[in-house]
Amino acid sequence: MAITLGKNNSGAAEFSSVGRSIPRVEARAKVTGKAEYVHNLRLPGMLYGKVYRSTVAHARLHSIDVAAAQAMPGVHAVYTAADIIKLIPEPYYGPAFHDQPILAIDKVHYVGEPVALVLAADPHVAEAAAQLIVAEYEELPAVFDEVEAMTSKAVVHEVLKPAGTFPDLKHLKDKRDTNIALDFHLRRGDAQKAFAEADYVFEHTFRTQQVLHLPLEPFVTVADPTPNQLVIHTASQSPSFVRIEIARLLGWPENKVRVKVPYLGGGFGAKLYIKLEALVSAAALIAGRPVKIALTMEEQFYTLTKHATTLRIKSGVSKDGKITARECEVWWNGGAYADIGPRITQKSGFTAAGPYDIDHVSIDSYALYTNLPPAGALRGFGIPQLVWAYESHTDLIAKGLNIDPLAIRRKNILREGRPQATGTVMRDAGIAPVLECLAQRMAWEKPFDQGSGTIRRGRGIAIGFKASISPTTSVAIVNVGADGSCMVHCSTVDMGQGSDTAMAQIVAEALGIPVASVTLVHPDTDVTPYDMATLGSRSTYHMGHAVKLAAEDARDKLLALARDVGLSAETTPIPDIFRKKYGMQAGNIVGIGSFIPPYTPPEPGTGLTQDATPFWMIGATGAEVEVDTETGEFKITRLVNLVDVGRPVNPAIVETQISGATIMQLGFTLSERMDFDAGQVTNASLADYKIPGIRDIPAVMENEAVDMVQKSGPFGAKGVGESGTFGVSPAIASAIDDAVGVRLTSLPLTAEAVYRGLRANAGKPLKG
Amino acid sequence: MSPFELAEPRSLKAALKILDANDPSVRVFGGGTALMLMMKAGVFQPTRLISLRGIEKRYAKVTSGQDGSLHIGALITLSALGRTAMVKKRAPVIVDALRTLSNVRVRNVATLGGHLAHADPHMDLPPVLIALGAQVVTAATTGSRTLAVADLLTGYFETALAPNELISEIIVPSQTGWRSAYIKLTTRAADDWPTLGIAVSLQTDGKVIQDARFVVSAATEKPLRLPSVETALRGATISDAVLARVGEAAVAEAELTGDAHGSAAYKTELLRVYAGRAVRKALAA
Amino acid sequence: MTTTHKNISFQLNGRPVTVHAGNHQNLVELLQGQGLYGARESCGQGLCGCCTVVVNGTAVSGCLTMATLVDGADVRTIEDAQADGQLDAVQQAFIDAGAFQCGFCTPGFILMTRQLLDAHPNPTEDEIRHYLAGNLCRCAAYTEIIKAVRLAAKKRKG
Repeated sequence: MAITLGKNNSGAAEFSSVGRSIPRVEARAKVTGKAEYVHNLRLPGMLYGKVYRSTVAHARLHSIDVAAAQAMPGVHAVYTAADIIKLIPEPYYGPAFHDQPILAIDKVHYVGEPVALVLAADPHVAEAAAQLIVAEYEELPAVFDEVEAMTSKAVVHEVLKPAGTFPDLKHLKDKRDTNIALDFHLRRGDAQKAFAEADYVFEHTFRTQQVLHLPLEPFVTVADPTPNQLVIHTASQSPSFVRIEIARLLGWPENKVRVKVPYLGGGFGAKLYIKLEALVSAAALIAGRPVKIALTMEEQFYTLTKHATTLRIKSGVSKDGKITARECEVWWNGGAYADIGPRITQKSGFTAAGPYDIDHVSIDSYALYTNLPPAGALRGFGIPQLVWAYESHTDLIAKGLNIDPLAIRRKNILREGRPQATGTVMRDAGIAPVLECLAQRMAWEKPFDQGSGTIRRGRGIAIGFKASISPTTSVAIVNVGADGSCMVHCSTVDMGQGSDTAMAQIVAEALGIPVASVTLVHPDTDVTPYDMATLGSRSTYHMGHAVKLAAEDARDKLLALARDVGLSAETTPIPDIFRKKYGMQAGNIVGIGSFIPPYTPPEPGTGLTQDATPFWMIGATGAEVEVDTETGEFKITRLVNLVDVGRPVNPAIVETQISGATIMQLGFTLSERMDFDAGQVTNASLADYKIPGIRDIPAVMENEAVDMVQKSGPFGAKGVGESGTFGVSPAIASAIDDAVGVRLTSLPLTAEAVYRGLRANAGKPLKG
Repeated sequence: MSPFELAEPRSLKAALKILDANDPSVRVFGGGTALMLMMKAGVFQPTRLISLRGIEKRYAKVTSGQDGSLHIGALITLSALGRTAMVKKRAPVIVDALRTLSNVRVRNVATLGGHLAHADPHMDLPPVLIALGAQVVTAATTGSRTLAVADLLTGYFETALAPNELISEIIVPSQTGWRSAYIKLTTRAADDWPTLGIAVSLQTDGKVIQDARFVVSAATEKPLRLPSVETALRGATISDAVLARVGEAAVAEAELTGDAHGSAAYKTELLRVYAGRAVRKALAA
Repeated sequence: MTTTHKNISFQLNGRPVTVHAGNHQNLVELLQGQGLYGARESCGQGLCGCCTVVVNGTAVSGCLTMATLVDGADVRTIEDAQADGQLDAVQQAFIDAGAFQCGFCTPGFILMTRQLLDAHPNPTEDEIRHYLAGNLCRCAAYTEIIKAVRLAAKKRKG
């Protein structure tokens, strides 16, 4: 069937491709086991790498004895930092600070830090040889707690070296003898004066635990040193960054490094920036052979985690429940390397006071180094930690003043057109609609059965919001072939969120052609243009804009081509236009799109800005629970999740994203916790670190995107991947409190903690 | 994992012959799931393994004793055990415990004999089998012996088996007149190692409990019978007051250890409450 | 005489295969050597189900199965699920219900669902949850997976 250029629907209210729940474009490949992952790749002559890791949390590295490993039959080579430095004199990387060495140099900063690498053609040999390596350490005092790190004599890094890569992190400074990587401050109005004048002042401290992403495809990278280029096949969410950073390390031009990314077996923020790529690249170049490192599930625990936090929050409130002032202090436990923690500290930090209309706000947010595995972005980018604190705090205020939790939110909610704490005016932010929709779904204003006897029931609600990442760039190419089919070249990584499908739908809509005529070219820096990264729910909006602009550019060029050859592009099948022009099925039309949203950086000191973000994400959760008063055991009987994602590009995939985000946060709320002994993770396996399984899912889960349009978004859409995480933890804690009067302030929420609360309330605290 | 030799004898006799009592890095396995985990973690590096998969099929079958007892071949997989009609009928508590024991794939491979010989105190069937009064029959080149499951398990990952001795059969005595239940408590996720396991068997006459076996596991270094609880149950008719006494007796006798699943103090409170709940579950079985 | 490596012969997706394998290798590695990547080692402990393989009609964790033990066995992988290029009812149901995101765990869920429906053609929700308790999906498409199992049960009945 000939493909005809359809109507440009950009301004229409009804679309033909966008807004439809078509199956994922890669569905068939995934159900047949044939989808391409880096995991599948084996190259001729390839060596497998096994990492030897630090066994102490903080130490001078005196010596590394690799002789026995090197002597093992089948071992190709063993490398330490001394070998790396010959190739890369300054082997430090990182998106915010150049603080992370490819292999440990002189010091180790956490248990699990890579110290040496064994290469062998047989992975079993590499593994056995790595066990023969012995390092000598002189242990140094270590710091693990984020609040202690503020003043600790134990300093993780003597000198801090800002990377200077991203425009929003240009303000990071060279500093010495401190664990504070970044301190962000926001001052709006005069919080201290408002506290003095307030009817009531409430203050609470909350904590969250260290958890991690655990994609079922652990980190994996293959580097292939071809004669002309270094080709890196990697499970990465940021191919463009990998190319630029590896080229910088090697002192090469960008075009000598090629980064290819197939599908990812999950990412969730783990596979950003540099993870294995620098080590694998260096090893492949030194060895002169392709090298693959595939981490085990255990090794993921030593690679990247989510920030544990301590959050202190204080509010001034009037008698009738109006919040007049709020002060927040947030300490982010960044572990041994900053990764993207400084951006979290700032970009999420400025929302720490919550989606409330408060005249006087003071926020202090600190990114801290400690001797724990590094922390970075994880689905929500710090927002779930903040929502946990401000929504728990809001409920405690409501309880203190005997006001209904919904009523206090209605009274204070940040409404359309009002300025957020930074001064940025809220536009297309469905905070009030999401809250109202949640209230309705929960039948909040109807009587609720609180149970009786030893089974008590309760319910809770919570709402959070997040800004998008700005200023960040996306570039896309739409290449229309002479038969009317088209290829979309973009560096957005489909890690399960469905971006290939969404981009295909957007391009199909903009060109007015069927989705089936659109194919996505997977990220390959030789052929797909720059994209900042697949993170922070930015792809639908940022890359969505770029591919839409590219498709519109292609469309304009097709129209011009048709005019040139005397045809009407809107009625002539596309192949006929090409045939008329070239005399046969030949030629291409290439459209280009590039998008960077406007942004005004925050003023130093006050953190104020008129344009903090191109769009806001809103997420709210309502929970109903049943608590066994004899044991503290509880079950979630109903979980309602509502989000504002603008107009969904693919409603079915959006619903799965909401539900998936919610369940992931459910794990962080109830069961997931990295346990440590002197900096050593003691539960580094799925047997002892419990992620949600199918029997952990609440019996009733409802997920809904409220009817909203992001006017500045492509076809009214905006980001969706994280919003489902926001309200989960505080809503459940609130429901438990509602059921049995026990308010938990630390995650995870365990039956034992509830039981201890019950005993404490009864005046018989559980000892031991 | 590093290379090792693998022997696949065709008979139990041949397997016993290969089993060298003097070399601890020679090990037999049935399903091999626990062994693979230990080898992958590097805690066990064998020079030679002996697979029992090829020995006589009768060691994977269930037969009935004349007295109504179940004679279960040690090499039966846990899945096959759960599917066996005789087991479903005579000892349904085993089938119930199997529902949440690891997962389908592990149950498809793991054997009952291996499950017992591994002596991990978090295993689900040892407390159940002790409550049922089960025995194991062992084999060695020097002969065979029969001992109670309670006596087989001597400590944390420790058994009474000699290095050259294997479990060949498990005997579950007739359960006529008995009702049993197992409660597996998990505190982190629904599918997890138990925080606490409680197995109860009650012999009843009308509403009166004639005899009882009460076993606690997972929070102890090996499954433990609690005689004081059994005494409290004998001759009793169940009431809230009796169950409260049962709970008190259980926590007075059992010394539980704390771990990542919960503190010792909290597990003790769970035992106090669930001791009675387990008795009720058994009576309803 | 026992050795650390040996030649093994087995049926792989209906075709006879002979390979030289080490006892210390697992079934996932063996399959990768045959160019089959649908069974994936993830947790390495038999808990996540990504490495599910069907041996002699029974589902096993490939990561906990010694390669040489499949000598003489009938081995089936996700790559065998399609008949004549047609997706089977379970595969189609997973697409129709949108029961996956990243897809890494999907082959394991599909193979386990086929086993589940062989054993229980009309599974209750409780049976579905118990049978699939040994399969983990970090994207957490669990509600969609339950939907897919129900849909597949219906499709199988025609």
